[in-house]
Amino acid sequence: MRERARGRRGVTISRRVFLEMAGAAAAVASFPVVIRAQAREVKVGYILPVTGPLAFEAALALNGVLLAVDEINAAGGIKSLGGAKITLLPGDTQNKVELGNSEAARLIDQGIVALIGPFSSLVAYSVRQVTEKNKTPFLLLAAVADNLCEGGLRYIFRMQPNGKGMATLTVTNMVEMAKAASTPIRRVAMMHEDGNFGTTMGNHVEAFAKTAGYELVQRVPYNLKSPDFTAELAKVRAAKPDLLVISGYYGDSKLIAETAAKLRMGIHALVGLANAAYSNPKFIGENRELTEDLFDGNYWHNPTSARAKAVFAAYQKRFNAIMANHSVQGYQVTYVLKDALERAASTDREKVRDALAKTNLADHILTQDAIKFDDTGENVNASPALLQVQGGKPVVVGPARYAESKPVFPVPKWKA
Amino acid sequence: MTGGLLLQAVVSGLLLGGVYGLVASGLTLIFGVLRIVNFAHGAVMMLAMYTSYWLFARGGVDPYVSVLLTAPLFFVLGVVIQKLIIEPNREAAEHNQLLLTLGLALFLENLALVLWQGDFRTVKSAVAGASFVLGDALVDVSRLIACGGAVLVALGLFVFLRTTDTGKAIRALAEEPEGALLMGINVRRIRAVAFGIGTGCVAVAGSLITPFFYVAPDVGEAFNLMAFVVVVLGGMGNFVGALLGGFIVGLAESLGAAFLPGSLKQLVVFAIFAAVLLLRPAGLFGGGRGR
Repeated sequence: MRERARGRRGVTISRRVFLEMAGAAAAVASFPVVIRAQAREVKVGYILPVTGPLAFEAALALNGVLLAVDEINAAGGIKSLGGAKITLLPGDTQNKVELGNSEAARLIDQGIVALIGPFSSLVAYSVRQVTEKNKTPFLLLAAVADNLCEGGLRYIFRMQPNGKGMATLTVTNMVEMAKAASTPIRRVAMMHEDGNFGTTMGNHVEAFAKTAGYELVQRVPYNLKSPDFTAELAKVRAAKPDLLVISGYYGDSKLIAETAAKLRMGIHALVGLANAAYSNPKFIGENRELTEDLFDGNYWHNPTSARAKAVFAAYQKRFNAIMANHSVQGYQVTYVLKDALERAASTDREKVRDALAKTNLADHILTQDAIKFDDTGENVNASPALLQVQGGKPVVVGPARYAESKPVFPVPKWKA
Repeated sequence: MTGGLLLQAVVSGLLLGGVYGLVASGLTLIFGVLRIVNFAHGAVMMLAMYTSYWLFARGGVDPYVSVLLTAPLFFVLGVVIQKLIIEPNREAAEHNQLLLTLGLALFLENLALVLWQGDFRTVKSAVAGASFVLGDALVDVSRLIACGGAVLVALGLFVFLRTTDTGKAIRALAEEPEGALLMGINVRRIRAVAFGIGTGCVAVAGSLITPFFYVAPDVGEAFNLMAFVVVVLGGMGNFVGALLGGFIVGLAESLGAAFLPGSLKQLVVFAIFAAVLLLRPAGLFGGGRGR
């Protein structure tokens, strides 16, 4: 769901920014003596689609990585390595599989201890073979496809929830919230775009019905470029669901919410599942009335954490923007690696890998318990947050222990 | 409830069908007169939508007002495209002309991507969000205006082609190019006018849908594809057929969405497309030459 097709933007600007950064990196690389004279360095590589259709989202993720690396270096680097500073080596995938592979191989040749990236699940699926073959730890950033950690791989680690976790935990959060509000959810309808992302989400919501105790009364896959969803929504309304779940990209999700608002759906709430629009500040800003009280299950930061507040302030100061959820991911995954480097006390990739496998990181800014990886490399406690737009802002309303506000449920305007 | 669903599907299908019809009218006019398949039609529609968007974003001009600007503006753009790009390649092989319009489409889409990024942009019209209930069916006012406007423009064009000298010349050129030339019709001028009218039509359609749709560089593709289906359905070059075909495709899509499982609604449309090509290659309403 992070590989959303929606954002084709910023090609020229992003490329320029990328070149500047690459130039800066080259400048640093050309004075290795000076740096080594001060302290040893730890090379960390990233591959992201910094140019091309996902450039905007990739830049957000990268900002988080940059912020974390600067923090770590300013605070004295990796202490167990004698204060070695992290040197970031950049790689651009342009969201293409071949480039992902070749950039990963190049960075590994240049001696990185670990690779972070690559945003898109499609690219990740291919690059994981390269990192596996070269015995290099690969920390997935943003990619959520279910199959990425499958196949008995040793060097892949994923901090964020996968598709299954995203779908089942979001539905669980919704069901529990509804119980607490004594308005149980018995009938669920789902609309999702008919590509890989939406279909995966739809499959999980369907398969999870029995466990969670609801009936999936209508499932409507749709083409995301369709100019009208009135007939689809009328069909959904006829099935009398309590809840309508939408997994979609930006334009389609917007049209669906708008049409649903006019159709008097008679539902308790409209819920996005890893939706590209419903917790997106830009979408909310442009559609204040429509978006109020919308729910979305997505990866997020823990708003009750003091550390998260400090990180957000630092991000605001440095990039003059509110820290986005992609940036939170970039920031946190860098700290997962930093934690492993401290414990490994070595730049040997095998030792770093073993340290990553033993991660038990409680000091983080996510909505979950300690970050721990299972044998496949999945974070066992990975958890999305349940968000609701309140007062024009997405706020965490579940799971209850991270909630910054009480949910509005059932939502009066959708019930009417 | 099934009755209500049927009514809703018919209403929303017809409302969208009118827009498909107008987009297809422009395409079929260009095909009838110039004998080229204009792949850039959807890209031109996208440009018109951005024009409406920027007029709204910078000048606060309602899209229903800016349509009065985009129509003549894009008529001129069409004339320029025809004179500068299409006309010099008239003698080239047919597949080259095809590639030419495809190339133009790619160029325009990527130009939009560079200039305005891939952001989805939306326009708020004064009537945005207004709707009323007819029987059991919801009627969206902005969609009703788009459909009504599209049908009016198409009918106006129909009258223009029937009654004015230029209109008759366009029909003559579509019917019998050599004969038209021999009768002293300035065929270059008429070709440019026809292309201009075609792009003008799609610009009107683009401006009329911005209030309920969104604007993005690849937004024209879906409409372009549907317009091709409609044109084949109505008969290549058949103007009235294009409008009726638009309603048929809109209805098929909407009924498919309401009564078939999954995302089969486009399958219905393309099944009709394939069936027409197989069984009635000249289109449901007869092959087009200048009708």
